[in-house]
Amino acid sequence: MKKTVVIGFVGTVLDYAGKGGQRWDKWRPSVGLCQQDDLLVDRLELLHDSRSRGLFERLRQDIAAVSPGTEVRSVEINLRNPWDFEEVYGALHDFARGYAFDADHEDYLIHITTGTHVAQICWFLLAEARYLPARLVQTSPPVQRREEGVAGSYALIDLDLSRYDKIATRFAREQAETVSFLKSGIATRNARFNRMIEQIERVAVRSKAPMLLCGPTGAGKSFLARRIYELKKARHQLNGRFVEVNCATLRGDNAMSALFGHVRGAFTGAQAERAGLLRSADGGLLFLDEIGELGLDEQAMLLKAIEEKRFFPFGSDREADSDFQLIAGTMRDLGQWVASGRFREDLYARINLWTYTLPGLAERAEDLEPNLEFELARYAREYGEQVRFNAEARHAYLKFAMSPDAAWSGNFRELSASVTRMATLAEAGRITEAVVDEELARLRQGWRTQRDSPLRALMGERFEQLDLFDQLQLESVAAVCRQAASLSDAGRRLFGVSRQDKARPNDADRLRKYLARYDLSWQQLHSS
Amino acid sequence: MKTTQQQDWLALDGAEGEGGGQVLRSALTLSAISGRPFRIERIRAGRAKPGLLRQHLTAVQAAAAICGATVQGAELGSTRLSFVPGMIRGGDYRFAIGSAGSCTLVLQTVLPALWFADAPSTVTVSGGTHNQAAPPADFLIRAWWPLVATLGVQQQLVLLRHGFYPAGGGEVRASVTPCAALQPLDLTERGALRQVRAEALVARVPAHVAQRELARVTQHLGEVAGEARVLPPDEGPGNVLLIEVVHEQVSEVFTAFGERGVSAEAVADRAAREARQYLAGRAAVGEHLADQLLLPLALAGGGRFTATCASSHLRTNAMVIERFLPVRVEVADEDGAARVTVHPRVD
Repeated sequence: MKKTVVIGFVGTVLDYAGKGGQRWDKWRPSVGLCQQDDLLVDRLELLHDSRSRGLFERLRQDIAAVSPGTEVRSVEINLRNPWDFEEVYGALHDFARGYAFDADHEDYLIHITTGTHVAQICWFLLAEARYLPARLVQTSPPVQRREEGVAGSYALIDLDLSRYDKIATRFAREQAETVSFLKSGIATRNARFNRMIEQIERVAVRSKAPMLLCGPTGAGKSFLARRIYELKKARHQLNGRFVEVNCATLRGDNAMSALFGHVRGAFTGAQAERAGLLRSADGGLLFLDEIGELGLDEQAMLLKAIEEKRFFPFGSDREADSDFQLIAGTMRDLGQWVASGRFREDLYARINLWTYTLPGLAERAEDLEPNLEFELARYAREYGEQVRFNAEARHAYLKFAMSPDAAWSGNFRELSASVTRMATLAEAGRITEAVVDEELARLRQGWRTQRDSPLRALMGERFEQLDLFDQLQLESVAAVCRQAASLSDAGRRLFGVSRQDKARPNDADRLRKYLARYDLSWQQLHSS
Repeated sequence: MKTTQQQDWLALDGAEGEGGGQVLRSALTLSAISGRPFRIERIRAGRAKPGLLRQHLTAVQAAAAICGATVQGAELGSTRLSFVPGMIRGGDYRFAIGSAGSCTLVLQTVLPALWFADAPSTVTVSGGTHNQAAPPADFLIRAWWPLVATLGVQQQLVLLRHGFYPAGGGEVRASVTPCAALQPLDLTERGALRQVRAEALVARVPAHVAQRELARVTQHLGEVAGEARVLPPDEGPGNVLLIEVVHEQVSEVFTAFGERGVSAEAVADRAAREARQYLAGRAAVGEHLADQLLLPLALAGGGRFTATCASSHLRTNAMVIERFLPVRVEVADEDGAARVTVHPRVD
């Protein structure tokens, strides 16, 4: 069994009761702690200054009488002013660092009833920061009617809050509420998504580090970023604004100026000073959507701004400050973009700490129904009109929406639009089967148009005669060709692995021959 | 009496009967003497602070020390304990206990076992000798000791220093010469009243407190021999009033402690009321002496006595004793008092 070691101050006021026999009539916390019938203090380390040696000695003798099993040790510690926080903290910190804690064999308790309130605060801080591997013990004077004599009572305070059932339950409830908040109260069923949101909740509450949200357009990146902001604001972790910008809309000089601001006269037409989005987000949260679209110069500036919380506004030689939490969004594979030199590696490393991929709606078919409910409620809130499905209509809509035929390429944004259309067309607040049929036709048409890729236009009927396998492969190849600068560039990317085994790789030729099988050329695809 | 080890384990329920430390203390003594190991669960289960408190732990450690027992679960707050006794060894034992504990409870646990040791012993217990929670050392010396002496026990008890709660610092010493067997006891009558005397002790408490207590006792019990004793101040602070009622067959001691906020007269009232009740009855022993007498009687293998009442401590003791020893304890009501008979059991 571990030994119990108590560390505490000699109470120059509370432990003092004179030298006479009347001292036994008074509650003395350091003595009382050693008189508890269910606590045996094996060792008591009493901190005191040189003026209290006499008092210490008396306590030692009295404790020996009431608790022969307790070894009482003197720790002399001289404080010029025991009410000076800095001095007391320093002294106790030194004590904690110098003390040979043996947590395997001894259990430590810090007695906080004696000593100044400043000492109490310092004990608490040191225990909470685990400089002292100890629990706190608080003693209280006897309550007359309880007949507990002069010993009083004691209570142990463990700062590890998870050890208290009631507090743990409270935390669990609060966490569940927060998770639900991040999901906007939508009772999502997709296990992977739920796990991800639970982790985002923990990270959001505990960390200020940047987050990176990946996923297709409409998957809810922007929505989630705003919820995270609202959560942190409610917890008083942020007090600034939520600033959102889609980097795809920032081009050229305008990009620099929009992000970092400019001074008057920085460029032609800059007639007034502009703060820029980063400064607007000071103390708040900046959501940079489509961060992959940011130019390399802006990326470099952004990195400096994140790391140093300082940057130069366009045209200014004085740095501006801004301390903001960054959340970046992207639908690109940024890792690939770094490999191809389109995204700065250092910036990627900085933002790729908490990276979450939000699955599209089609991958979360089980979440379609709760999201449908959410959208109906949103419509009611925004338009002041409660709209409901007929049972059959609802069934028909869900059946299609959750089927593999539903591409949901626009994801949640598309679902939202779909619900808005049906709700608007509903007569007397009822969405009927007819409305649903019409909507489903609209959705199908939309996805077909998308599927009508440029390849269809180029190849006509011939495309339809290919296997789906070949269609998909050809579409991907065409997508690379569209982005590539040349046939060779496209070839290098497409045969990036196998070309390394060849002494004289001729990627361009390989690609040309592949395309020729379908009577296609790079020029055709690149300009399509 | 002493049998070899490795018998069946006895399983005890600590919450049964009185439900406090009594089950445990009796079991420790009986296990050491009978050689029978025991396991006890739910120690003090219903109490505000369940499990072993410091004073119980002290009793366990003391019992283990005199018989070289192997113990598991001897920790503060533990609600289960196993105790495997070895040979009882005579010797020089010293136990230091805190003031909240009681020297007399430790002595009552270990002395009966040392009666059957292989050699004489001395046991010195330092700490609290006079506190509310247990019979004071004077009770052991003046009431219990003469009775067990009639059973054939050879022991001496000396109170070296008083140790009042909360300062403690007292000391009691016992010397024991082992004996082979005990004589049965038949104590159904008190015999003629010889003397009633009162003794008021003060340590670091004004002497008038003692005088007032004695005066008050006289008001209750008529003229009694009274003595006020002023103890050395370093034994205090403390005050106790003892009323000793001596009959031909038995002496009884009734006590009350002085405490802050309680007048000397009120203290005297408490002790005198108990003494008067006892004097009014015919039973041989009072409630507390009855509790302490049962175990020696059972060790003697038989006997009987009458008591003013059969307390829950007594009934609990009887239950534990019947588990360990081949005896049956019969408690019969007799004119408002209790007649306790220990029969040998033939299994």
